[in-house]
Amino acid sequence: MRAQFVLSEIWIGLRRNLTMTVAVITTVAISLALFGAGMLINQQVSAMRGYWDERISITIYLCTESSPSKHCIENGPATDEDRNSLQADLKAMPEVASVEYVDQAAAWEDFQNRFSNRQALVEATQEGDIPDNFRVQLADPSKYERVQQSVQDRPGVDMVSNDKDVLDRFFELFDGLKWAALIVAVVQLAAAALLIGNTIRLSAYSRRRETGIMRLVGASNFYIQLPFLLEGAICGLIGGVIASGFIVATRFFLLDKIQDWFYSGVELSTGALLSVIGMSVILGVLLCTIASFLTLRRYLRV
Amino acid sequence: MIQFENVTKVYPTQKRPALNGVSVDVDKGEFVFLVGPSGSGKSTFLRLILKEEKPTKGRVHVAGKDLARLSNWKVPHLRRRIGCVFQDFRLLPNKNVFENVAFALEVIGKPRRFIRKVVPEVVELVGLEGKGDRMPDELSGGEQQRVAIARAFVNRPQILLADEPTGNIDPATSIGIMKVLDRINRTGTTVVMATHDAAIVDSMRKRVIELEDGEVIRDQSRGVYGQAY
Repeated sequence: MRAQFVLSEIWIGLRRNLTMTVAVITTVAISLALFGAGMLINQQVSAMRGYWDERISITIYLCTESSPSKHCIENGPATDEDRNSLQADLKAMPEVASVEYVDQAAAWEDFQNRFSNRQALVEATQEGDIPDNFRVQLADPSKYERVQQSVQDRPGVDMVSNDKDVLDRFFELFDGLKWAALIVAVVQLAAAALLIGNTIRLSAYSRRRETGIMRLVGASNFYIQLPFLLEGAICGLIGGVIASGFIVATRFFLLDKIQDWFYSGVELSTGALLSVIGMSVILGVLLCTIASFLTLRRYLRV
Repeated sequence: MIQFENVTKVYPTQKRPALNGVSVDVDKGEFVFLVGPSGSGKSTFLRLILKEEKPTKGRVHVAGKDLARLSNWKVPHLRRRIGCVFQDFRLLPNKNVFENVAFALEVIGKPRRFIRKVVPEVVELVGLEGKGDRMPDELSGGEQQRVAIARAFVNRPQILLADEPTGNIDPATSIGIMKVLDRINRTGTTVVMATHDAAIVDSMRKRVIELEDGEVIRDQSRGVYGQAY
């Protein structure tokens, strides 16, 4: 009911410690932005993982005349018989969804298409350099190892390459990015909590006369602490709002870039973005309020 | 109204007790002087009434409540029934007279209409009519103490505690302050006043409790300050 009174107390408190308030808001904003970015990267990467897991295929390259590997040199190039039995066996495997044979001409064409923007590479290669191969689509991508092992040592098989190995390397990079962001965020959040503690302590000290009188005339603890708690909460809220801006920027600049690299049509939904923003803001407000509360318990004896 | 039963208070950092086996009974509507040299335990006595301190031994009852059984979150409600006045006034320098008095009601959540009604009444009761808009630094010491009394009394407490209220005020002005306290006492409020001021104690002829080294050495109705000082 005395909202006006409480609000004016908060305003006075925030203005009196303006430099500290700015420091707190900045720290909170940075830490929440990093936290949010970490969460977004996490969601994006797991979405892309899911996307690629469904589409991942194994490519089994067959031996040709020019294959340099030891296995191929010992057994010679793949014969029609090798190829047919391999195809039949692959089709019989329950883990395999479909098998497609790509002959050297088709492989060469595919190669030209993929690297059309690197003319030098295309020119340095000729038909026959890309061995004929089987594209194997898996029913369950997690079972790729079993398929890989069963065909690895067959005559005529040069090597088995899995898209997953390549993608995993990139995903590891993003995981690293995510953890770096989250770790810095945690450190920053800890710093923010300490800063808030200090700000509230200053605030409590500069208002000790008022709080002393409030205590004396029998104001309830809640009423005495409320302006300080709200002061912390407002710092957290403003920091959170600023951080939301950074989070939105992360979504539209960084994540869209990542998607371009991966040609994956997995865009994070607005809902996911909003939930990350919501979590960051709530985290900021909670952290600041709790830090204020703990500080008050030490410095504002009621 | 206030009962001390064999109360001993030892502060953690001190060996000598601040109060030692004090038993005192103050009835409703009484006016009591608490006298004694510095360090005799007067302030401790007052702080125990407010439950700012807990007794090491013994019991304190205030307004029918055993303070040892009063949970911490109920302490504010106890304090709403006790007004407090200090030697250093403790006014808020950035608020005028009305606002200083109103502050005491605002922070316990009284409605604005009620505050607008009672604050001018109390300001008038302490003899500051027409000065409600003044800031504390525009007032004399005596007037500032009247503001502090108005603030202590505005919530109509059952008990008024005054810790050396005339300590910073010249003798002539002190008489005015005592008249205000006497007026408040006549409304039925119990007043406990700790003081060094022999002239005031002698002129009022009220009950005198004398403390020395934490013990009650004299409890006399219609008493004087005593020869020793």
